[in-house]
Amino acid sequence: METRRDIFQAIADPTRRAIISLIVLQAMTPNAIAEQFDSTRQTVSNHIKVLQECGLVTSKQKGREIYYQIHPKKLKALADWLEPFQKMWEERLDNFGDYVIKLKNKKQNK
Amino acid sequence: MNHTDDLQSRTLTIKRTFDAPVEIVWEAWTQPEHVAEWWAPKGMKVKVVEHNFKVGGKWKYSMPMPDGNDFISEGVYSVIIELQKIFTSADFRPMTEGVEMQSFFEKEGEKTNFTFNVIHATEEYCKAQEKMGFYNGWGSALERLNTLVKSLNK
Repeated sequence: METRRDIFQAIADPTRRAIISLIVLQAMTPNAIAEQFDSTRQTVSNHIKVLQECGLVTSKQKGREIYYQIHPKKLKALADWLEPFQKMWEERLDNFGDYVIKLKNKKQNK
Repeated sequence: MNHTDDLQSRTLTIKRTFDAPVEIVWEAWTQPEHVAEWWAPKGMKVKVVEHNFKVGGKWKYSMPMPDGNDFISEGVYSVIIELQKIFTSADFRPMTEGVEMQSFFEKEGEKTNFTFNVIHATEEYCKAQEKMGFYNGWGSALERLNTLVKSLNK
């Protein structure tokens, strides 16, 4: 049985990304997370389950409450690959700018 | 919130001036054999799967990712005005879906002023983020991730 979830598939969903954004700052109980969304508790709980299955989120028991938190190592692996959108475009346009100059020089030397 | 503010908060703008005539900048931006040279981040390769450069035409680029999947970017051109501007829809799976990209080319002698807008998604897509005050969706999530990652590296 395939239990390991693909991390990129896990973050492809906007609600799951929103959950990550929430608990990246502090561990939260399932109730506290669910309060931030319009969806039902069950739906939010399913999303958390997917995040747990791919290892991005772990849980810990504190007294009677369960807290969900980000798993830093897994997150780092993801963040290493996923650069901020703006930075990605800045770099792409840097690439493009370099390439334009190369192309110009090539044409002039013809 | 009025519509203009909303649009601005959903738009990423990057301006550049390239030291090359607009014809060359246009060619580098629009010809598939050139796109393949600059689209991918350093150290990665991109494959131009489809490149139908006309209004209503589709483009699709594929980048292999470290985990073995492909990172697909694709869209459909909606406006093409030769040497002036290009609008296209764009999906970057799995990061950012349903954005519009606008590229403006402006001739300034032998240089080219280039303005690039990425307008993020529909309100529907942003809904979960908006509720918590995130307008750029992924952007703010990634900033937080980066802050955390930096603190981990210390």
